[in-house]
Amino acid sequence: MKSGVRDVVVVEALEKTFRAGLLGRKKKVLDGISFRVGDGEIFGFVGPNGAGKTTTLKVLMGLIRASAGRATILGHDVAESAFRRQIGFLPENPYFYEYLTGREILRFYARVSGVPRAEIDARATRLLEWVGLSHAADARLRTYSKGMLQRTGIAQALVHDPKVVFLDEPMSGLDPIGRKEIRDLVLRLRETGKTVFMNTHILSDVETVCDRVAIIVKGRIRYEGGTHDFLDEGECMSDLVLQAVPPALGERLEADRLVVRGRGDRIELRVRDKEVGELLQVALAAGARIVSVSPHRRSLEEIFLSAVAHQESASAAGMPR
Amino acid sequence: MNALRCVLTVAGNTMREAIRSRVLYTLLFFAILLIGTGSLLSTLSYVERERILQDVGLAAIRIFGVAIAIFVGIGLIHREVDRRTIYTILSKPISRTQFLVGKYLGLVATLWLQLAIMAAAFAGVSLLAEAPFGAGHLAALSLAGVEFAVVVAVATLFSSFTTPMLASLFATGLWAIGHLSRDLRQLGLQSNDVVFRHVAQVLHRCVPDLSAFDLTSQAVHGLPIAASDLWIPWIYGMGWVVVLLGIASFVFERRDFR
Repeated sequence: MKSGVRDVVVVEALEKTFRAGLLGRKKKVLDGISFRVGDGEIFGFVGPNGAGKTTTLKVLMGLIRASAGRATILGHDVAESAFRRQIGFLPENPYFYEYLTGREILRFYARVSGVPRAEIDARATRLLEWVGLSHAADARLRTYSKGMLQRTGIAQALVHDPKVVFLDEPMSGLDPIGRKEIRDLVLRLRETGKTVFMNTHILSDVETVCDRVAIIVKGRIRYEGGTHDFLDEGECMSDLVLQAVPPALGERLEADRLVVRGRGDRIELRVRDKEVGELLQVALAAGARIVSVSPHRRSLEEIFLSAVAHQESASAAGMPR
Repeated sequence: MNALRCVLTVAGNTMREAIRSRVLYTLLFFAILLIGTGSLLSTLSYVERERILQDVGLAAIRIFGVAIAIFVGIGLIHREVDRRTIYTILSKPISRTQFLVGKYLGLVATLWLQLAIMAAAFAGVSLLAEAPFGAGHLAALSLAGVEFAVVVAVATLFSSFTTPMLASLFATGLWAIGHLSRDLRQLGLQSNDVVFRHVAQVLHRCVPDLSAFDLTSQAVHGLPIAASDLWIPWIYGMGWVVVLLGIASFVFERRDFR
């Protein structure tokens, strides 16, 4: 994190243990996690399903009480409620009173959030426009699609003009168009100077919008740092498809063990990202045609393992994490 | 000031939700039907026709009012948790207690509105049958409203920590015990069994005495009703509402929404 940047969210040694079953068996869901979110950042909280992301967010929202540790937002303990005027929250797969219209639900949340009466209608209209729901403002929420509900969720999170916005899996379950719309809205939040905390397990979302990330696996933070440091860790690969490949070039690529599939004049290769440019130049010079170049994204699991391995090797070498 | 605004906003929304519920209209329809049927039942008797008509009418109002209080009340909080609408609301600057009280007041206001509709139907049927309708009846209806408020508080308490199925069992059980506790205490006082006497006494103290809100007999027979017959049960009822909501709030404030 940049020095001098004020910490908006501070989580220190947070633990949460649930009791399950008739015998009340204990299950530790958060195991002493710590991280910080700076002012104006888009912070990605990344982890596989069941890692503890939503539990952490629920602790921050005051929906769940921590068993141990400390969490503050804008310097306030998360158990307080008055400071929540300064935060907005979009839960995963948000549900609203479906008998209300888009405009009515925003009015309701604005009143609960303490927005001055005179400003409520204007703010609801402006936000509906901002999230692209003006056309459906007076339709009941039961008629909304999933993407429209997600946008309504973002609008309600912003209705009281909060400083920090918390989003739980904002793109999950949406079609590609819906995901792009939400991604654009998140980027626009940064432009308005808001701090955004985003839970997600979709790496491409992290790469596109987040400044910093923390990875949580099995209730423990495995990595915290800049998004690009995280994604650049290890080597990334790209898949190339070439056509009209001269035999000499084909043989050379096969000898270098770069060919994944195909023989003759159409072949598929997998190469390191940093070698893509050089290889394309060689192929073009030899008269081959480039059909496609697709960056091969490592799975989240692979990156987690890489992050954990990196952390462990750093510890073993006595390097600071 | 903002706390009051939060409570009233939640209450207003709860009213709006309840008013759009089909269950509520079904129960209201049958209540009014039963009030009207009173005039038919009263023709079966040559004596005290007016008393039968009004007995049936007031009983219908109380039974259907309590049914609405329990059936809508038990889902009051659970539905919010189950549908996860509570997540977005509690992330706003509203305390859990304000939310709970708002939900409670919304349902009580809805029930009192229903009571007013049922009372109007009762008054209409009484006037058509040329039966008396006066201050005594209004006093009985007013205490029925207090009973509804107490039953909603009971349902809200159970709704704040358990499932609708269990909440309905607990609330109905408590309502039944509440109506029997005075008789049980009398039985206990006359009993030689020390254990039974103590149990009856404890039950009477620990459970709202709902027979305290029943002025049907006085109203129907035109007996005099003193002011204290009205205000003492009102205060007693509101006292129980505060206690029940206090416990509900204590439980609700500590609950995890997983």
